[in-house]
Amino acid sequence: MYTTYRLTLASIKMFLRNRQALFFTLFMPFMIMLIFGYIGFDKPPVIDVGLVTHNPSPETRQFLDQVKQFPTLKIHEGSLNEEQVQLNEGNRSVVLDIPDYLVPAGNVAAPEKQSIIAYENAGQAGQSQTVVSILNQFIDKTTIAEAHASAPFSVEERSVNAHNLRYIEFLLPGLIALSIMQMSVFSVAFVFTNFKEKGILKRLLATPMKPLQFVAANAVTRLIVSVVQAAIFIVAGIILFKVHIIGSYPLLFFCVVLGALMFLGLGFTISGLATTTESVPAIANLVVFPMLFLGGTFFAISNMPPWLQLFAKFLPLTYFSTALRDIMTKGAGPGDISHSILGMLVWGVILITLSTITFRFQERDSA
Amino acid sequence: MSNIIEVKDLTKKYGDFVAVNDISFAVEDGETFGILGPNGAGKTTTLEMIEGLKRPTSGTIMLAGLDVERQTDEVKSVIGVQLQASTFFEGLNLIELIETFAALYGRKADAMQLLNEVQLTDKAKAQVKELSGGQKQRFSIAVGLVNDPKVLFLDEPTTGLDPQARRHLWDLVKMIKSKGKTVILTTHYMDEAEVLCDRIAIMDAGKIIALDTPNQLIKDLLATGFSKPVLQQDANLEDVFLNKTGHALRE
Repeated sequence: MYTTYRLTLASIKMFLRNRQALFFTLFMPFMIMLIFGYIGFDKPPVIDVGLVTHNPSPETRQFLDQVKQFPTLKIHEGSLNEEQVQLNEGNRSVVLDIPDYLVPAGNVAAPEKQSIIAYENAGQAGQSQTVVSILNQFIDKTTIAEAHASAPFSVEERSVNAHNLRYIEFLLPGLIALSIMQMSVFSVAFVFTNFKEKGILKRLLATPMKPLQFVAANAVTRLIVSVVQAAIFIVAGIILFKVHIIGSYPLLFFCVVLGALMFLGLGFTISGLATTTESVPAIANLVVFPMLFLGGTFFAISNMPPWLQLFAKFLPLTYFSTALRDIMTKGAGPGDISHSILGMLVWGVILITLSTITFRFQERDSA
Repeated sequence: MSNIIEVKDLTKKYGDFVAVNDISFAVEDGETFGILGPNGAGKTTTLEMIEGLKRPTSGTIMLAGLDVERQTDEVKSVIGVQLQASTFFEGLNLIELIETFAALYGRKADAMQLLNEVQLTDKAKAQVKELSGGQKQRFSIAVGLVNDPKVLFLDEPTTGLDPQARRHLWDLVKMIKSKGKTVILTTHYMDEAEVLCDRIAIMDAGKIIALDTPNQLIKDLLATGFSKPVLQQDANLEDVFLNKTGHALRE
């Protein structure tokens, strides 16, 4: 026990003094959180609209001023030529050529039916369609008003203060899972391959220490780091982005430890497969890289094509990030996330078993 | 004097390759015992089997009355080891490394006292990567002494060192011997074996082909009518080098 305790202390010191490990496990995920948090993916997208007018009547101008109030539209005014250049360069979703007498003045009957010519950016069909339907809506209202008729029916809007999941709240649990995965896999794979390569493991075997004591000391160190990582993210999320964490912290703690254990198994498996430290990134990225994008950190699995979902939902990182997200954003209890916990347990058993097969403290007998 | 190590009919095979071929020898308590031989002769394999790092294919090894194969952990507690590639954890200084290694034996060590013995007190807060080759070997020996072992194994302790550092290390080995510890060392340097070792085993192709005191081995050779083709000089180039550069350590 004394030996394991001292080894754990030594292992923590080594971890904290390894600047590279600190950078990748704490600093980098933190930067990702800041960048993604401040970009704000959940603000409504702005649609760039080119507006071409020639000599609009006061009524038409008034109509256009109303259109400009619409929050999601960013109106750029210019000549037809200028705006078409912008459209061709992809800077406008749609360019609208507005006739001077779009809205007839007073009681004077319109000379003939006026129409807006909309040059649509085919690559942004969705946005340009939105603009056209917004315009149609305005025109309908104006027409009804002109006819002094009352609208046959209307929509009554009532605002409900629902708890909408902001992107940062979606991202945060995924980022915690991701950085714990990175830390567990890479720090174990690099450090143990290095120990093996340099003969440090052999030197340790020349002492009465049990290999399990050394593995345990290193695993405990990384479990502690995982919990610290999760705590830093949560505190930063609460302070910087006012994230609400609904679920129970003990359950969160349990899932963090379980997820870290699962990925420590992967780390040891890789350090068993790698013969040199140079080969670690190649092997580790082969496994870790797909999970960066498919493990439900940045995008919801449900937005993926069905065939990809079939693959993505069984990834270890997916179970881990889903469990953390369900706890943090939905206040899920142990029963609600039993599926994810089971997934992590199964992966944990698989990966730890694999690691006992590939990873040998003692090098195989060779001359 | 009693034997602290008894090796009997020791063999190690890797597939068809016989690395160590049925060797037997004994080492007396307090003796400095050298194992010499060309690369691939089986020196390191022999050492690692006695240290409990490799399992023999057949044969028995007794160390301090313990069966190495069955009482491996007890044996590891009473021996100190310096391996050929002596690297240590990065991120820990010399004191922390000594304390950590002492903990592997479940004991506490006086790190400064050990560093003092190998003259590294001024490097106590340094990391191993900041040490020179000779300092690294001395530190490695200090770590080998954390458990106050009965037997110290040194695998090519002076390979790659400059003449000053080699002589400095010899003094250290003599000091350890003077404390009554048994030292087993391998080396490629005959002068080193002659200066340090009470007895020498010469290995080749997995066999021990000669075993005696350095003096007796030389006498036996001369008795066969051997004589050096070149006249023995009173000094050699190493003497010139040391005479010009002095014995002081450079690091």
